[in-house]
Amino acid sequence: MFFDKILSHDKKEQRVIENIRGHIKLLCTACNTFRLGIGKNNRKLINDVAELERKGDSIRREIISNIYNGAFLPYLRPDLCKFVEIVDRVFDLIEDTAFLYLSMEIPEHSDREENSVSFFMKIPEPIKNDCARVAFFNVKICEMLLITFEAMLKGEDLGEKTLAIRIYEKKIDDIKFNMLEEIRKVDINNFWDGKILSDFITTITKVSDIIEDASDHIQIISVSMR
Amino acid sequence: MWKVASGVFLGWSLGANDSANIFGTGVATGTVKYRTAIMLTAAFVLLGAILEGPKCMATIKDISRLIPMEAFCCTLATAITMAVLTFMAIPSSSSQGIIGAVIGAGILSGTADFSKLYKIVICWAFTPVLGIVLGYFFYRFLKYLLNKTVNSLTLRNYIYFIGIIIAGSYGAYSLGANNVANVTGIYVGAGILSTETAAIVGGVSIALGVLTYSKKVMMTVGKGIVPLDPFSAFTVVLAEAFTLHIFTQIGVPVSSSQAVVGAVTGIGLAGDLRTVNLKMLGKIAGGWLLTPVAAGILSYLLIILMASGIV
Repeated sequence: MFFDKILSHDKKEQRVIENIRGHIKLLCTACNTFRLGIGKNNRKLINDVAELERKGDSIRREIISNIYNGAFLPYLRPDLCKFVEIVDRVFDLIEDTAFLYLSMEIPEHSDREENSVSFFMKIPEPIKNDCARVAFFNVKICEMLLITFEAMLKGEDLGEKTLAIRIYEKKIDDIKFNMLEEIRKVDINNFWDGKILSDFITTITKVSDIIEDASDHIQIISVSMR
Repeated sequence: MWKVASGVFLGWSLGANDSANIFGTGVATGTVKYRTAIMLTAAFVLLGAILEGPKCMATIKDISRLIPMEAFCCTLATAITMAVLTFMAIPSSSSQGIIGAVIGAGILSGTADFSKLYKIVICWAFTPVLGIVLGYFFYRFLKYLLNKTVNSLTLRNYIYFIGIIIAGSYGAYSLGANNVANVTGIYVGAGILSTETAAIVGGVSIALGVLTYSKKVMMTVGKGIVPLDPFSAFTVVLAEAFTLHIFTQIGVPVSSSQAVVGAVTGIGLAGDLRTVNLKMLGKIAGGWLLTPVAAGILSYLLIILMASGIV
């Protein structure tokens, strides 16, 4: 075991890094799929987000099991695991957002009766464009997380990358406040319609917050190994 | 030959205690498995004792001419002193203990050579100082070197792992080379053992202590000192190993614990970390004075008791 570790050089670590890279790329795909899904109002694309979340879960399990099977020094393991868990939280959020979107915009009976009038509340028109913008920025912030992770692996300065993430996060926050102002003007007919709409806005705008946490954690990992 | 037993006992307790200074942080943080750590420590302690152990034996031999019974009393007095001070949680050094005991016996027999003592005391005083200097220098230099040359996270992780293993093995080698004289060097002067045999017997007894009874101390020391990151842990052990090896070349056995404390202080100064505990430094200074004095008095009393036939 001891000699294996010495002779294998950093193979275990490389496998973990490859998986983390794949995990973040998959998150970018999930965010982009959601963006396309709401752009085209396409049930299949939105459903694919849940499928991508399940794949993300399986990658997360593999990463954590590889880490606890001896990849990386124990000193670094908790931070790496925490980073992976944070990314997984983003997957959960984007999946929740997708479900909430489905329940508002494409409820199940709409498949069966194409021209039927939905009894469910739809996303109000004044915030539809904002939702699309947030979904677009979520893709961008995810891509920036991947760039930050790659920069950390190469030991590069992370200052500019994390700043870019904070700027995206701030833009999404501004959009969120605008959305909150707009929905105050919307009539809500029942509690659940209001709750689902409120939850949808919360989850779609929270993705960037959690990605910002993940980028902060990349910084911690980088500093702890220097 | 039974008179060597107290030396073997001293070697065993030295191995059980001081191996924590080598791989303590590595084992406590899970970087190195306990089994791997004790195997490496035992092997390199023995190697160091055989290859370079005789260098420090001459110093112990020269400070006093002892008969076999006195040599037995000196190692026994040192072992008892260390056990009592350890029980009282006062850091003690076998090097200081054995020198104190030999001086105590030498005073009684009138053979003590105080002219050799100044060199030893100067080396004791410089042990933590050299630890601080080397800890500071290695921390600054190696950090600069790594930041310039190794940027990849995975490669850095690998270098830290290999670094802790290499520094630990070198530390064990230096411990064996420097401290074996404390254990059996006195028997060379008393004519019981040849230098080579003393190095082997001392090395084996230290290795036995490492293999059989080092886990508790290793965990306590590893978790008790400030939490060190892998780079600092590697630097501390490297500085300690160099300190012990330098004093081995001078021929003076010194305290590995004091070298470690010095190295931790050095990296604390270099990295602006809070590694300096004034209370701990006070305790170490107390042990520094108490160990040779207590061992000297005890060996003096033991020899009187043995000579008068009371024991």
